[in-house]
Amino acid sequence: MLLHLLNRSPASSLVHRDTLRAMGEEDRLLLIEDGVYGALMPLADRFEAIHGRLFALREDLASRGLDGRCDARVTVVDMEGFVTLTEESERTVSWF
Amino acid sequence: MLVVLRHAPHGSSWLREGLDVALVGAAFGQAVTLLFLGDGVEALVRNQQAGALGQKGTHPTLDMLAMYDIEKLLVDSESLAERGLTLEDLQLPVAPIAAQALPALFAEHAAVFNF
Amino acid sequence: MATTSIARQVRVGERDIALDPEGYLVILADWTPAVAKTLAEEEGRVLTDEHWEVIEVLRDFYARYEMAPAMRPLVKAVGQALGADKGKSLHLMKLFPESPAKVAARLAGLPKPTNCL
Repeated sequence: MLLHLLNRSPASSLVHRDTLRAMGEEDRLLLIEDGVYGALMPLADRFEAIHGRLFALREDLASRGLDGRCDARVTVVDMEGFVTLTEESERTVSWF
Repeated sequence: MLVVLRHAPHGSSWLREGLDVALVGAAFGQAVTLLFLGDGVEALVRNQQAGALGQKGTHPTLDMLAMYDIEKLLVDSESLAERGLTLEDLQLPVAPIAAQALPALFAEHAAVFNF
Repeated sequence: MATTSIARQVRVGERDIALDPEGYLVILADWTPAVAKTLAEEEGRVLTDEHWEVIEVLRDFYARYEMAPAMRPLVKAVGQALGADKGKSLHLMKLFPESPAKVAARLAGLPKPTNCL
């Protein structure tokens, strides 16, 4: 299982489409930096295909004033959770 | 190792940096697979030239890959189609890969360098 | 990469040729066979026909690919151009001791190979 990291907003970049296509059935996706804009509706719909495997980094949400506004399908993790996700994965792949 | 090239030539240095990583890996005897994905497929388009200010292009480097024994070149079919490109438009013989095969490709390589 | 900083100049015929701190040409177009000869003499090397044919292979390589090759591709290019007997690292080590990819690139007027140690 791989952990994919995405740091671009799906509103301005199409890289999330390549990310989704490269993801295996068990792989997880963590939204970081500007990627966290994708954790809110309606953009979160773009990640419907990986329901249950979508995460967003709390620190990046908070700094953008978005903490607490995530779509219910997104699991919010803090830095410690980020580390745990990394440990649970074979490798990480960054998308930017 | 898998090196994923996702950026178009000339617009940024990402493509060149990805190619450099592939060349270094190959120079040290690593088996390198290159995947052209997203805008990275534009790197393969024929008839490229130097930049407007004479900046070197990446197209001579693509021709050089064989000299570094980098022979596993894959291109994402969907990325080509989205850009109106076919294999005949490309400067090198590359193997098309279907979207369904991408996850396995990422999973099977011990090291993935995404550019 | 060829750097723009000039560490010193070497006299070749009527011209002063600028060299970077590692002895590579600052202006690649300055290269002539006489420049190669002078650079080799400075290091006590005598260029034989076998050296010149490798220099030729390197210059062709650069003209095609715009990069100086690391050792493996250099061996391959020499093998393709001059035959399998010469496309061996041992042969190149004999001709250009220490580091063939770097030494030969310098004499051939190429930039320093970027992807080799």
